[in-house]
Amino acid sequence: MKRRRFARGHAMLELALSAGVMVTCLAGTFQFGYTFYVYNQLVTAVGNGARYAAQRSYRAATERDIELGNQAIRNMVVYGDAQPTAELAPVTAGLKPERVEVRWILNDDGKPSAVNVTVRGYTVDAVFRSFTFDSRPMVEFPYVGRYAPGESER
Amino acid sequence: MSVLEPRKRARRGFVLIAMCGCIFLLLAVVGLAFDLGRIYITRNEAQVFTDAASMAAAAQLDGTAAGVARAKAAVEHLPARWNLGTQPFAGVTAEFSADGRRWDAEPDEVSEVKFARVRAPDNRLDIIFLSAVGGPLNFNVPAQAVAATNPVRLVE
Repeated sequence: MKRRRFARGHAMLELALSAGVMVTCLAGTFQFGYTFYVYNQLVTAVGNGARYAAQRSYRAATERDIELGNQAIRNMVVYGDAQPTAELAPVTAGLKPERVEVRWILNDDGKPSAVNVTVRGYTVDAVFRSFTFDSRPMVEFPYVGRYAPGESER
Repeated sequence: MSVLEPRKRARRGFVLIAMCGCIFLLLAVVGLAFDLGRIYITRNEAQVFTDAASMAAAAQLDGTAAGVARAKAAVEHLPARWNLGTQPFAGVTAEFSADGRRWDAEPDEVSEVKFARVRAPDNRLDIIFLSAVGGPLNFNVPAQAVAATNPVRLVE
């Protein structure tokens, strides 16, 4: 009788120990798996946005036109659409246009030679822990679009 | 000498075997999430890089030898990284072609060159968990892209 109770206690202890290891492993697997999944989506989104920026007409009649163009590029990264409708969800949970940085590399004459798109301070909430990506992923494309310094954005 | 009956002794060994099986399966599942996740990210990073690099190279081609040299420099200076944005691409090659079939790093007829091809052939990832359960120690994720000098403009 005494020995059986002792064996039952052993089983409880073993279960507690192995469950602790198992839960930790599964939590870690989820945490990294989800973070990698989100990062992969970010790489795709930033790549698509940068490719769009590289081919889009650079309309620079005023500073506002440049900013409107940049806004369209940010929307392309976040929603996969330069002019998203209100019901469109971001391609990655919690990603907002203000987290996307668009930087133009200009020649001496003001004509863009390349465009650099990156994500700033985006936090992935992986339940057990959160990871913040700053300046990554970052993609730079050469500018191959039409330079239109006198045109305005519609 | 053990005083346990033979059946009880056999039961004691079973826990060890079950534990080994569980750890093997656990490592395989962790490996699928961790190592495969990194492989897919690398594939994506390398493809985005070669897309951008081939466009950068093609944009410099103007039918002169200087244009080809500028194209190679553009590929070299593109600030792209892989392995979660931590490692620069190594062994990147730029090749050129007049017809999209025969590729040459040093083309003879530079005035005929219309296409640039960039390859990132050596993006070797260390496999951490899957290697412990019989998978490979590392995995190479190459990528390549081709761009033309006068691309069709799809965006206004």
